[in-house]
Amino acid sequence: MSKLSLEELASLDVLQAAYISALDGKAMKAWLDTFDDDPDASYICTARNDVECGLKVAMMLDDCRDRLIDRCTFIEDIWAGTFQDYRTRHFSQRVTAERREDGSVAMSSNFSVIFTPDDTGLPQQLATGTYEDIIRMDGGRCRFLSRTAVTDNSVLPRYLVFPL
Amino acid sequence: MTGQEAYQRDIVWPANYNEIPKEIFVRQDLYQAEINRIFRGPEWHPVAHESEVPLPGDFKTCNLADVPLLIIRGEDGKVRAFYNACSHRSNQIEVKPSGNRTEFECPYHRWLFNSAGELVGCPNQREFTPGFDKKDYPLAQPRQESLGGLLFVTLSPETDSLDDFLQEAKTSLMDIMGGDGRLRLIGYHRVRYLTNWKAYSDNDGYHPPLLHQAFTMLNWQGGAGRQYATTGRGHYCIDTELTVPKPTSVIRDTSVIEFRDEGRPKRSSVLALFPMLVASNYLNVISIRFATPVAIDEVEVNYAYFAHQDDDEEMVRHRIRQSSNAIGPSGLISMEDASVFHRVHIGNRTPGKAVFQKGVTDPSRLSFEFRQNDESGNLPHWEYYRAAMGFRRTAA
Repeated sequence: MSKLSLEELASLDVLQAAYISALDGKAMKAWLDTFDDDPDASYICTARNDVECGLKVAMMLDDCRDRLIDRCTFIEDIWAGTFQDYRTRHFSQRVTAERREDGSVAMSSNFSVIFTPDDTGLPQQLATGTYEDIIRMDGGRCRFLSRTAVTDNSVLPRYLVFPL
Repeated sequence: MTGQEAYQRDIVWPANYNEIPKEIFVRQDLYQAEINRIFRGPEWHPVAHESEVPLPGDFKTCNLADVPLLIIRGEDGKVRAFYNACSHRSNQIEVKPSGNRTEFECPYHRWLFNSAGELVGCPNQREFTPGFDKKDYPLAQPRQESLGGLLFVTLSPETDSLDDFLQEAKTSLMDIMGGDGRLRLIGYHRVRYLTNWKAYSDNDGYHPPLLHQAFTMLNWQGGAGRQYATTGRGHYCIDTELTVPKPTSVIRDTSVIEFRDEGRPKRSSVLALFPMLVASNYLNVISIRFATPVAIDEVEVNYAYFAHQDDDEEMVRHRIRQSSNAIGPSGLISMEDASVFHRVHIGNRTPGKAVFQKGVTDPSRLSFEFRQNDESGNLPHWEYYRAAMGFRRTAA
């Protein structure tokens, strides 16, 4: 593990902002573009209690790029018109970021997600937890090789449509 | 009219079996009566599968409506359900959702219980009432029975035996649990739905090909099978031959809808036990949904997912990947159910009756056999509910 330069840290923040902007704007193609083209690129959303108990079932288990693409298909095509739509606001705070021996970056961030359902208009807390990421840095560009959203919620207050 | 509850006087239960008064979903005094008559009444409620606590000292906590429970596997290997309250002053014993302990200590006065619930220590015992004996103060237990490792509790001494409660559904439940109940826990989805418990429990066979676009997009329909409801409580089972979908280009990773041979017939089975349990074996997903009301307009559902003990590691991995993304509160095939739970509850605040149509050939009588995509299979449990809550049906 080695430290990152200020420029490199800034590029991680650009990636975080792109991720947040994509989800808060419901732009699933832009969300997909925050992940690396590697076939093993992954997004997992799971509960901390389950991680601590070694349980592998996740709320969303997109453990390859094909599943990342399918996640977009679920939301934009298969589920279209059936769910109560909601808008999210993601708040994320980078806590640690270090370069690994293979050159990728391990980053951990706290997150909090507020959601506002269209039908009630009342904002509520949806989830809080940490992002545990492995990030590929290619020149000045960063993309996720893996992002795991680990929720402190053992119980979600409603069903999830969009990734956290 | 003495002895009648206000809700029994005010709510008019229609003459036709296929009509349900919507007021029952939103009336607060009725909800309180349901807690007493059903959740604290003579019904069996599944609370855990033994595979959730595989090792001695493993425990999990849960609630049956407003009653806290603590499930522990003892050093003797036996799984027991306790009230999650100290036998002394009723302080909550365990606060974690799950874990492992050899002993359970109440922090209030340091009374100590072993994994069989026996009181093994209590400070200052010499100053207690004359004749005090630790043997008289174990953790209290509700009545309990199990089937295939699935532990049921009842809070009423008057409840029928579990066999009588389940009737024909016993066989369906065992089939869903791999035939022998030798399961291995692989994880959970835990979620709350903003709906009344009865609306959550009222999912029907009519909606799947209509609501769930995945069925259409993936060119996937069920085949032959049997659908029935039990005569006692209207537990209903939809059991269909599984028609494996043709190759699709709609999604790229088709393992989410792949059926891998596990030595059983290619069937999808969904069983709904009164009042709230749903168990299913769908594709390669074995799921038991432990559910309980939290409030009149909120339920908590813990979807527990299982592999079978005879699975090889590749099959376990497949079940983990399929359980995560196929059927659950964010699953490809079933997310829309979650949305409907919410939306039906909002609609139930309007006056009038909910009406069942599909498969109802004669509204003046009940039928216990139905077809795969009928909604008439829900009517026997509604009739049981009506009688349990003491509503009088309007004369035809």
